[in-house]
Amino acid sequence: MNRKREKDEHIERLYYMKEEETDSMDILRSAMNENYDADIIDELLSGDMVELSEGENKIRLTKKGEDYARQLIRAHRLAERLLYDVLGGDYESGACEFEHTVTPELVDSICILLGHPRACPHGMPIPQGQCCRHSSRTAQSSVIPLVELEVGQSARVAYINCKSDQQLHKIDSLCIRPGAVVTLHQRYPTYVIECEGSNIAMDEEIVSNICVWREPQHFQSAGKETPA
Amino acid sequence: MSGKRKAKKDNSSGSRPLKRIAIVGLPNTGKSQVFNNLTGEYTLVANYPLTTVEIKRTRCEIDGEPYEVIDTPGLHCLYIHSEEELIVRDMIFSEKPDMIIQCIDANQLKQSLTLTADLLELGIPMVISLNAIDETARRGVWIDSDGLSRLLGVPVVESIAVNGLGTRELKGAISKARRGKWSLRYVDIIDDGISAIESELPEDVSFKRKVAVLLLLADPFLADYLRAEYGQEKVAQLKNKVNRVRRQFRGNFSRALNNKRSRWVDDIVNNTTRKQKITPGESSKVFARLSRHPVFGIPILLAVVFIMFLLVVNVANVIAGWMDTTVWVSVESKINSLVPAGFWNDFLIGDYGVLSLGLANAFLTVLPILTVFFIAFNILEDIGYIPNLCVLTKRIFDKLGLSGSAIMPLVLGFGCKTMATLTTKSLRSKKERYISIYLIAFAIPCAAQLGLNMSILGRMGIMAFVVAFSVLGFVEIAAGMALNKILREEGRTDFIQELPAIRLPNAKAVMVKTYYRLRWFIKEAVPVFLYAAVALFVIDKIGILDAMKNILGPIVNGLLGLPSQMVDALILCMARHEAAAGLMIKLIEKGQLNYVQCIVSVTLTTMFVPCFANIMAMIKELGTRRALTAVLIINCTAIMVAGILNWVLVGLFNL
Repeated sequence: MNRKREKDEHIERLYYMKEEETDSMDILRSAMNENYDADIIDELLSGDMVELSEGENKIRLTKKGEDYARQLIRAHRLAERLLYDVLGGDYESGACEFEHTVTPELVDSICILLGHPRACPHGMPIPQGQCCRHSSRTAQSSVIPLVELEVGQSARVAYINCKSDQQLHKIDSLCIRPGAVVTLHQRYPTYVIECEGSNIAMDEEIVSNICVWREPQHFQSAGKETPA
Repeated sequence: MSGKRKAKKDNSSGSRPLKRIAIVGLPNTGKSQVFNNLTGEYTLVANYPLTTVEIKRTRCEIDGEPYEVIDTPGLHCLYIHSEEELIVRDMIFSEKPDMIIQCIDANQLKQSLTLTADLLELGIPMVISLNAIDETARRGVWIDSDGLSRLLGVPVVESIAVNGLGTRELKGAISKARRGKWSLRYVDIIDDGISAIESELPEDVSFKRKVAVLLLLADPFLADYLRAEYGQEKVAQLKNKVNRVRRQFRGNFSRALNNKRSRWVDDIVNNTTRKQKITPGESSKVFARLSRHPVFGIPILLAVVFIMFLLVVNVANVIAGWMDTTVWVSVESKINSLVPAGFWNDFLIGDYGVLSLGLANAFLTVLPILTVFFIAFNILEDIGYIPNLCVLTKRIFDKLGLSGSAIMPLVLGFGCKTMATLTTKSLRSKKERYISIYLIAFAIPCAAQLGLNMSILGRMGIMAFVVAFSVLGFVEIAAGMALNKILREEGRTDFIQELPAIRLPNAKAVMVKTYYRLRWFIKEAVPVFLYAAVALFVIDKIGILDAMKNILGPIVNGLLGLPSQMVDALILCMARHEAAAGLMIKLIEKGQLNYVQCIVSVTLTTMFVPCFANIMAMIKELGTRRALTAVLIINCTAIMVAGILNWVLVGLFNL
């Protein structure tokens, strides 16, 4: 493993710990397992990426470290999204390598292509990039919110941004899930979509959180219900 | 709540010869119909979700063995979204039924199998009733029910429940109910986590695996339940464990588990269904789309209401009139010849006679109108037209501060206000609950009232009907907007509402339902008609009625511009709206109510005092104090609105 990758892995782990609201050195050590390297921590300290407190028992990312980590995580989770949505399978192993080798520009392109997803397939938040803040839209954006379909058009669901697990379960129980084909029937007075043979009326807010593949060939090639 | 649950458990363990069958399934999959078919009893069925809001149970014999059969409200999956779903899960967890019959609408196999996955995990023997199999065949979808049975490991019985087809096979399958094949494994880290939590659960918790999974999914209701049963400490301990597992997994459990389950479902569906490549267009789908369409939807709604109105006026009123002239006139003359004028004659056929105001009012005036109206209304229910209204009216409800999920209860209010009040359980926000319960009780007429209102106003012509219902609609919207302003804002419930497929009505089902609705009317309402007549007779004889008419004179005659006989109607209204309607029809026939008075009285009685059952339902959902306050406010508003209406019609339009 090269040095940069090892450093990155430590930084990523520290970011996860921040998400879980812990900053204990012990947890870092046990989570990194045999990959834990005290030298790397020293390097990170001198690079002003992390700071220690309470003797050396607590460790957390500095502002600089966190900015760097956010880019890594963003790339990692977007990669998962990409692999999961496009290939519909094992996303973890591929994505692990990904974030260490891409440029921020490439990451932004993927983000635009996927229509600025807000969560990875695990449901963890994807840190926003410049492109999300400007909600950049280019011609090649393949995934669009369901609201943008024409009435009567069908498309395959790519992924769903949910505000809560409750909502996710509700939507899932109606079979609106990645891979399912949905048809937009009506926009006004409220949205009506058809999925798996049943008609469902819903708020604009929910419809706009369902993202679908734009290209008709995607829909046709996946017409046999499920992705490979 | 937990106390009640425990008591139930003890009861059942005392004597358990009776096997329990729980009928479970997605909303609108025919659970109540299967319940009726199995038990020979009747609970109300309709082609839309939320018809059943409470658990209903009955005992019956199936193939010589006694069973208790339990009908339940709809359930999507064991992760709970709303309180009426919670009722079902609580029942399953606390009573541990010996068997589950899952009703599946063959049109929605995928959605249903998601629930099947959850139910199989419980390890309760199951039978699947695959319903509406005729419709899938028509749509060119073929379901291999044997294959399905093989893959799931439980008997699958095809049926067309509306016609009772498949009931015999279902009864036969009950003895063959089996625990299904549960082959769903997650990744190791999750499975290990589930086992770890399972081992931490208290000894007597049933369905440990499912409980563990639900804890991992952070089901909010389950934690409350465990806290009530086993104390804060145990729950905290469990939460610790859950958090540890969650941290190890470092992802979103809901997504991971749902993905796995979806793939399991997709596999099964792909292996058991075949779709025709070309299918005929379906006119029912076209109608469904038109009925929700912003442009065509409203004319369709108006046409539906107009047809109902014509039916009531031209058929029901004629029958009622005929009954009155042939049956009642001869009875009246008979009694007059037998009983000389005086106390007993008055008691029987006077203004407040048991026979005249009681029996004849119920059977000769109200019953014929209700019969015709119910047939029409039940056809509408079976078609599944009514829920589509929630799409059309969505924007109006937005203005009332109600998110979409409050629409269904309000729309259902046109069927039965009591049931509709109970369905507000499905709303999360207290504010929305309060507003919808209030609005249901206020200016929405229930089916019986709507029919009778049509009959009364129809005697004055279609314009009277249009005016009265426009006023009611306007008042309802104004009340909603006012409540929205007054009450504190809270979170809104998401609006996701499945719409039932439009179906051709089934003649037998409509007739059976009409029969039961009338039977309930006779059983519940007719005694009230009689008591009310006697009560009025008594207070009239001892002079209280006249005193009341004098006291209420300024309001009834002055403010409302109504004759003092309407005081009788208002008193009857408190007992039973139908009785008041019957009396008003009599007043019109005697020429004691004119055009304006007729409109004013109908608007007044529609808004005035919700029926007793509705008040009880309000008390159940809101608590006694708030419910009674609501009733008081409703009555005062009703009188004020009717007063203003009278003033506008007489003063401004010179009618």
